[in-house]
This record gives sequence, structure tokens and C-alpha cells, in this order.
Amino acid sequence: MPNLHEIYKTTKSVCLATMEKYPRVFQWVVTPCLILSGAFITNGIIMFLCAYNPIEAYIAAIALTFGTLSGLSETLVKATPYLMTGLSVAIAFRCGIWNIGAEGQFLMGALAAAFVGTKVAPVLPNTSWIAIPLSLSIAAIAGVIWGIVPGILKLTRGVNEVISTIMFNYIAIYFVSMMIDGGPLQETSRTGPQSDPIALWANLPPLIKPFRIHSGIILAVVLAGVLTFILFRTTYGYQLRAVGEGAAAAEAAGISIPHNTLRVFCISGALAALGGAIELMALSRILTDNFSPGYGYTAIAVALLARLHPLITVASALLFGALAEGSFAMEAEIGISRQVTWMMQAIILLFVIGFGSIRYLQKHKSK
Amino acid sequence: MDTNIVLQLENITKKFGDLVAVDNINFELKSSEIHAILGENGAGKSTLMNLIYGLFQPTSGTISISDNPTILRSPKDAIEHGIGMVHQHFMLIENLTVAENIALTIAQFSSQDGAISNIDSQHSPTGSIPHLSKFRYKKEEAIQITDALSNQFNLQVDPKALIRSLSVGLKQRVEILKALAVDARILILDEPTAVLSPQEVTSFFSILRTLQADNRSIIFISHKMKEVLEVSDRVTVLRNGKKVYFGKTSETSARALAREMIGEEIADIERNETKATTELVLNVSGLKVQGNRKEIAVSDITLQTYRGEIVGIAGVDGNGQRELAETIMGLRTHVDGKIEILGRQPKGTKNIRECGVGYIPEDRQTMGIISSFSVTDNLLLNAPQLDHIAKWGVIDQKKKFDIAKHLIETYDIRPPIKDRISSTLSGGNQQKIVLAREISPQPELLIAVNPTRGLDISAAQFVHINLLEQRSQKKSILLISTELDEVLQLSDRLFIMSRGKLIEATPYRDDIETLGLFMTGEMDTDAQPA
Repeated sequence: MPNLHEIYKTTKSVCLATMEKYPRVFQWVVTPCLILSGAFITNGIIMFLCAYNPIEAYIAAIALTFGTLSGLSETLVKATPYLMTGLSVAIAFRCGIWNIGAEGQFLMGALAAAFVGTKVAPVLPNTSWIAIPLSLSIAAIAGVIWGIVPGILKLTRGVNEVISTIMFNYIAIYFVSMMIDGGPLQETSRTGPQSDPIALWANLPPLIKPFRIHSGIILAVVLAGVLTFILFRTTYGYQLRAVGEGAAAAEAAGISIPHNTLRVFCISGALAALGGAIELMALSRILTDNFSPGYGYTAIAVALLARLHPLITVASALLFGALAEGSFAMEAEIGISRQVTWMMQAIILLFVIGFGSIRYLQKHKSK
Repeated sequence: MDTNIVLQLENITKKFGDLVAVDNINFELKSSEIHAILGENGAGKSTLMNLIYGLFQPTSGTISISDNPTILRSPKDAIEHGIGMVHQHFMLIENLTVAENIALTIAQFSSQDGAISNIDSQHSPTGSIPHLSKFRYKKEEAIQITDALSNQFNLQVDPKALIRSLSVGLKQRVEILKALAVDARILILDEPTAVLSPQEVTSFFSILRTLQADNRSIIFISHKMKEVLEVSDRVTVLRNGKKVYFGKTSETSARALAREMIGEEIADIERNETKATTELVLNVSGLKVQGNRKEIAVSDITLQTYRGEIVGIAGVDGNGQRELAETIMGLRTHVDGKIEILGRQPKGTKNIRECGVGYIPEDRQTMGIISSFSVTDNLLLNAPQLDHIAKWGVIDQKKKFDIAKHLIETYDIRPPIKDRISSTLSGGNQQKIVLAREISPQPELLIAVNPTRGLDISAAQFVHINLLEQRSQKKSILLISTELDEVLQLSDRLFIMSRGKLIEATPYRDDIETLGLFMTGEMDTDAQPA
């Protein structure tokens, strides 16, 4: 069919020409919008096939998520762990380090915060000025340790970080389990597999009562800003990007690859761990099994959707927060099962990766 | 000569958006003719060849093969019409044998009865593709086919050898065999001599003549004037997408062709006869380096460079030049020996650079620049420089952009846009980024490895002028290159590198055959050239 072929070719050339002309608009606006609309349409079809009205469902989700103060607050609250783990992934991927270990680092951060909050804070002066910074720094250190070991293994033994960080996730999951189920962090009454609530003065204060929105969100957004500054305005960020995008050229320029690799593993681990600590200190205050519903893995999608830019990661995390909150609305109001919304997240991820690979192909074809 | 026209392009135009890459070109290829296409980078040679090979479709104009207007939608189409292409970068599977590579090619194009599918049999009266068993790969059969092919065209190569064990010249032979295996009547050779030593070039030319005698037509792309004059029957010169010259090779000269290519007379570069000083800059003694496969890549090299001289190292690719340069730059560890720079022994690339060493690496795309970085960011890609414009690790934006602006102007980097992504620049301009970055800090020692590879005449000349400028500034330059002409033209002292060893030679042109023999290791490496 020559006609169809012609139409396809003209459309393609027009699209490519516009892309060349306004590359930034395409990169930051059109592509993400296409990805999202593609994903939402696909999800709509799935909902339709499951005999739900997708339009009704989307309206309910949007109305609750952005239409009410409590919904807005919940969106922000749910976005925070995605943001912290997303930043962790973004910074690692930027340096060409495929850290899949945000999940484990997140849990280790929560564990460290739980330890400080339940064991250390009660014996210290009862003030937030000591307890909160102490919890956060110990959590960050835990994340650094959890991150640096795969880094050292990579540098000294050539162990692929994808494998080692995934294994470290399992170690973290079962280590947390061990600590709260019969271990030293189990609640004093020893009834269930969970910790005691952390001391009140180790609690991250809420911002606006009665909503759950808390000060950890501000910390996360500030960190996103700081990371952007480091990445694009400092020599550290420059070296990190250089190693990620052209390791051989960076090395020839005198930039040390081992130094940067270790540095990134540390920063990445600390960020995810801080995410875990914030989550624990601001919301549940109790460390339980299944503390993370896979934040560290979803974080990969969050970071990729933001094209590994820390500031855009804020927007991307908000989207995932809204999705989590919206799924709650769809479940409550329309009766759509939570599994469908989990499917939606997976479909969004697929769209992100799919569009990413198209870009990749074009980049290489043009050479 | 047969005047049959086997391939004809009429008013071919190819546009990419607003850019006209090929502008209304007419071209014809006679049977058993060697037709050279000359042109600088970006003149439209590759686009034109890709149109003939079916990778692109023309915006307007017609392509006729044996007088039949034809639309070539893909390389597969082109191959089925008897057009074969040998790319500059070989398309061979390194871990398979010669016979396996050839069998793979045949398998894609032979149908069950051994004839090419859906093709007008007109183009090849003798046309047949060797028969290959269906479903099952038979080793003996593939070897037999390969042997038959190499005997037919006198292209000797061991069918059982692994591709990765072959020299560049032999790999090229396999590429040609691959094209012949599917009975290509028209062969497009993209810069085939760029990777060959002088001796290999000579034997390559005799291959071309054999093919010509077998009634096959060859399109030979090059920017080496001498070779074009030696081997081709007719020549077409392209400039800025337009055909600017077309005629018999015997009726033109190197100078005339060069003028057509760049559109102006090229001035010979001047090399003032200053003497090198006695001040030692680089002192390498007894250096031994292992290559990537633990083989001895550099064996017992001793080398000194002084202020105000260019020391040239010529040689065929893969004789340890890369390893030598990387070791001096601290990118590779050495087993034995000593490297002193200005009397110091710095460790690590950053420290070595801080001693005042600049480095133009051989592989521009992966080691010279980061192609996804902006021009500005690439101009900063030098650890000591980077520290220089930063305070407490924070890069001074004003200094950064001032430097970028200054270098883009001084080195005439085009397009002069600071935020431009480097991969969108031409090879010549990418090399200018590297030059600007490495030369502007006024390094005491500059190590340049194949600094003009893939550059056109004017860009290469720009590089040469800059190297000579460093020399007259009393800096020391180590020039490692596979381009013999370049090394001869620029060097004060000359070495040949062969199998990891250095042989001192005289930098005179009349010795070129002897030098060639040294480069291919045909002569005893311990003897001095006469």
C-alpha cells in the first residue's frame, strides 16, 4: 500500500523535523506526555475489558488526588519515598552505575532510624534537635555502608553491581525481618514482628495538622535542588557525568573512575537510606515486615521517566505519588482492584523504557 | 574497453530537512571500470553511496541498473541487483571463521535452487550463487565454497582461520570475498586503503585489477590523491553535495583534483628549520608493557624527546603504538622500565597532566570527547584545567563560558554554539575541540596519536599547523601516526614501530619503500635501514 507508506513517511519526516527544531520541548514535554497518554490509554483499555468505566475511574482518581486538601497532602506524602529512592537511582545511573539496590538501602536506612529512635533517643536528652539529626545521619551512614560494599566488590573483584545490589536487597529484607522478629529491635511486648514506635522526639514533625504532610517532604525537595546544583555546577558533578557518559574519555582526561564510582555508591546509598528513615520517622514510626512495597524498584521508573534529572525527578515522583493515591480513590469509589493499578504502574514503566530505547536507536542510527 | 553502462544516476538529489546532502548529481559507471569518487568529509560521498546501496532513497531523480530504472529500498535490494559494498569499518563476525562468515552471507541470499530469488537475471549472465545445503550448516561445504571463490579471484585466505586472528588486509579480502560470494557486479569500496600499509596497498590494487579483468565495476572512494591517480580509470569529484569535476584520470593531475576538492589552492605548510634544544622532556627507558590479552605489546623501548622537536613514530596499526601512548599517559601499567617527564616520575593520569602533558588520543569518539556532552563541557575535559576554574569544587560559570567562547573563536569550531551537543559536530570539528583543549594550556609535552585520522585535507592541515606551532614554541611533541606522509612531513626525528619495538629511521621521503618494509616487519627489526 504505497499511500499508507507515503503518509507514514511524511508524518515521520515532519515529526523528526520538528524534533530537530525544538529538541528541548520534545525532550522534556512532548515525550513524557506521549509516554503518559500512551500508558493511560492502554490502562483505560484494560479497565474497559475488566468491565469498568475508565473515564469515570480517571475522574474519580483526579478528583480525589488533586481536588481535596487531604488528597493533595496524601499525594505529597506518598511521593516522598519515590522521590528519595528516585534521586538515589538517578544519581547512580548518571554515573553509569546500575544500582538496583535502592530497596535494600531504603530498608537499612529505616532500620537504622528505628534503632536510634527506639534504643538511643530515649537515653539522650529528650529533644528533637538531637534525636532527628542523629537518626538521619546514622541512617545515611547505614546507606553508605550498604552502598559501598557492592562498590568495593565492583572495583576490586569486578562483580557486576546489578547482581550484587539485588543480592544486597535480599540481605537487607531478611536482616530487617530478623531484627524485628525475635531480634533485638522487636517490640517489648514481643507479640508481633515489628519494632516499638520510635521516641516522640525522634518523630519528623507534621507541617499542617490534621494532614499527614510532613517536614521530610521539604528535606527531599531541598535535596533534589542540592543534587541538581552538584551535578551541573560543581567539578564533582562534572566528573560524575563524565564517567557515566564516556568513561574512557574521562579516564584519559585524568578523572579517576574508582574514586567517582565509590563516591556515587555512597551518595546513592545515603539518599535511599534517608528516604527509608524519613518514611519511618514521619509516618508509621514502627518498623514492620513489608515496610517498603518495592519503592526501590519503582524508583528506577521514577528516575528514568525524569531522564535522570534530579529536579524533574520531583515531578516524576509526584506523578507516582498521585498514581498511588489515585489507585486508592479508584478502589474506594469505583471498586477497581488494587492489582489493576499496580498493573498500570508496570505499564507506565514499559512505556518509559520503550520510548527510551527508541531514542537510543535514533541516536545510534544517526552516526 | 566495454562501454556498457551498468549503473546510471540521473539528477539525483537527497535532502535531509533543509540540508541538501546530494544536489542534482549525474553519475555513470561502465562495466569493468574503476571509478574513483573524491571529496572531503561532508562532500556527499557517503550519502551518494548509501543511495546506491539502498540505505537511503533519493528525494528526486532515478537510479538505473543495466538501463532499467530501479528503486532500491534496502541493502538487500541492492545486493539482489548485484551491488556489493565494502565498508570502511568491516562488517564481519570476529568470532567466526572466514568460511562461516561467507556461508552466512550466502545463506541470506540463495534460495533453495541456488539461484538468487526475485531478481531479473539480466544483470549477471554468469550469475550464480554457490549452493548451500538447507537447514544444516555443513562445515566442509562452506570451506569448499570459500576455497573455490578465493581460487577463482586469486584472493588467498585460510577458510578455517578465525576473523579476529586476521590482519586488517586479510579482513578486507574476506569482505571482498563476501561481496563476490553473492555475485556482486558492482563493488563500492569505502576508503579501502585507509587501514592498509604501503605493501598491502600494492597488493590491494592488484586485486582491483583482477576484478576489473573479470568484468566487474568498482566505485572507489578515497581522499588520497595518489591512489586515485594510480588505480582509477575515471574520477568524479564532489564538493558540498555537488559534482564539481568529472573526467578521465589520465587527463588530470593531483594538484588539479585537490583544487577541485577543496575549492581553492592548498598552500604547502611551512616548517621553519629551527634546531631542537638539548633540554630533555620525555625520557622513556627500557619500557615493557602488556597488551589487553597479556601479550607483550611494547618491548624494551627507549625514547627521548627534547624541547622544540617533533618526534614521529610511524607504523601499521596494532604494533604497540596505542599501548605506548597510553602507558606514557598513565592509562596502562608497565611491567618494566621507567618514564620520566621533565625529570619527574608522576603517577596517575591527573598528575601526569599536571606536569604539563597534553594528549590527543587515537580514538576521538570514545577517548577524545564525550559525544553526549556539550561543546563547552568537552572543552573542560581535563582534570587539572577543571580544578583551575573551580573554587571549593564549584565551577565558575563565567570563567567556563569565557574559556569556551575564546577557544571556539580561536580554533574556529563550527557551528560556534557553546551548548551544541558534540555528536552533532563533524569529525573535523570534534578534533578541533580536542586540539583546543589539549593545546591551549601550552603543554610541555604533547602526545598526538593519529591526530588527523578521518579528517579531510583542510582539517588535517589545521592540525599540522598547530603541531608545528607548538614546535616553534619550544614544546616537545610525540607524533604517533599510521599516515607515513604525515610523519615524514612533520618529524625532526623518525622511528618506526613494529611488533612492539622501535627502529630509528631517517625522515626522508626517498626511503619510503624501505620504511614500508620495516612497518610490515618484512625486514629484520634489529638492522638499521640503509
